[in-house]
Amino acid sequence: MATILVADDSETILLLMRTRLEMAGHTVATAADGQEVLDHVADGVVPDLFLLDAMMPRKSGIDALRELRAAGWEAPVLIVSAHQNPGDADAPTDLAIDAYITKPIDFDRLLETVDELTA
Amino acid sequence: MAVIGVGRFIQQRQDFEDSIARSYQVEMVARERIARGTGGKAARAVVTQQADRRDQLRDEISSDTRDTALLVAAGLLAGLTGALLLFSGLISSLRRPLEELVDAAGRLAAGDRSARVEVGGLAETATLGNAFNEMAEELEQEEVRRAELDRLKDEFVLTASHELRSPLTSVQGFAELLMLERDSLTPRQAETVEVILDNCRHLVRLLNDLLDLARSDAGRLTIRPAATEVAPLVEDVVRTMRAQTEAGGQALSEQVDPGLPPIYVEPDRIRQILVNLLTNAHEYSPEGASIGVSARADGAEVEITVSDDGPGIPAEQLEHIFERFTRGDAGLTQRVGGTGLGLAISKSLAELHGGSIAAESTVGQGSTFRLRLPVAAAPGQSGDGAAGGQSQAPAEAS
Repeated sequence: MATILVADDSETILLLMRTRLEMAGHTVATAADGQEVLDHVADGVVPDLFLLDAMMPRKSGIDALRELRAAGWEAPVLIVSAHQNPGDADAPTDLAIDAYITKPIDFDRLLETVDELTA
Repeated sequence: MAVIGVGRFIQQRQDFEDSIARSYQVEMVARERIARGTGGKAARAVVTQQADRRDQLRDEISSDTRDTALLVAAGLLAGLTGALLLFSGLISSLRRPLEELVDAAGRLAAGDRSARVEVGGLAETATLGNAFNEMAEELEQEEVRRAELDRLKDEFVLTASHELRSPLTSVQGFAELLMLERDSLTPRQAETVEVILDNCRHLVRLLNDLLDLARSDAGRLTIRPAATEVAPLVEDVVRTMRAQTEAGGQALSEQVDPGLPPIYVEPDRIRQILVNLLTNAHEYSPEGASIGVSARADGAEVEITVSDDGPGIPAEQLEHIFERFTRGDAGLTQRVGGTGLGLAISKSLAELHGGSIAAESTVGQGSTFRLRLPVAAAPGQSGDGAAGGQSQAPAEAS
């Protein structure tokens, strides 16, 4: 099972994600925004997968990802976005993004994708 | 000129008659002298002289009359020409502004709200021009206000459906969490959670539909088409729908012609249309009904047909079936859980793909929906044209 760093600015969604991922046997670290994601990795958390909300205050998931990639992090990234067509929403073309999940989150699909990306 | 000519003519005529009369008087005097035997040779010479003079006068007057007639004719001609010039000047000073008005009115009617006329010419046409310009100005401002309202409406729907997603994810997610522990719930609790989940799914559908429509209205509905095989797509949709139709005791059949060319579409969007059509067929048809999906090639298009032998759609409803919030029979819609937006979105999506959708129905016999989609260009050829001209640049504030 994988270690997953989850970032979302909604506490209830973080709780929901943590519960579902932990029920599936994963180890979960949570962050309320992109800055906390960077703080976690600076503190020594080594995730197998980043699960980032695209839009967050202070620092968005996309901005955090940009810094992570610049710092040499190569772990797969799953972006959660409220868009129905995430690919054409604010998809940065210069960043390696492994998958998108749209809100409202289909957890069966989310867990499937997590399994695929951490296999 | 003609007046001068006529005046001169009268004067000449008078002079002529005076001279003739004088000549006769002189002659008469001479003849009296001859009659009295006192005139002699000189008197006879006077008679001859006067006769000659009158001949001469008559010659002169006829020549003068001709000249004067010519003068009068020339005068009349000049007058007529002058009048014509004056009149045509008047006409053209009316015609140009009127033509401009007609032209501007045409442009205004065709949608060019910036159409204005140059105000000028006669007082009447200037007034008309001013009135036209004022009217056009008001129309233009009205248009701007309406565009602004439309934009605000689109923004509102986009933002609202966007903002509702996070709380909806929470409600749905936690309800699903409860259902994962169904075994530890009482039957009544489980049923309650089912109701919450049902409503969440309905809300999600409504939000997605609203968002699609708002995007479509704002010109921001985009597709990413690719060459797609028809058979697996149809099979996938039929598999998705099978559970529902079986639960409703309905037969769901599938008939895809072999060897169909791939179509140039975004598979998820076509799945969305087909699920929508099949959901309608399922929900509006009674238990025991037959529902069928078939696909066949037709020229540069593939036609996918969804038909049922349900109650059918009356002509007056069929006419408006692709308009938003148009739904079938009110009694039926009480139990049917649709959003009233599905067919409107299906139509937008079909057209966005460069395809079309049409419905036909006979009350009591069933309904048929035909979705036509463009065939993908042969490998090596660019298929970009197939998406139609409606694909807009993706841009959406999150």
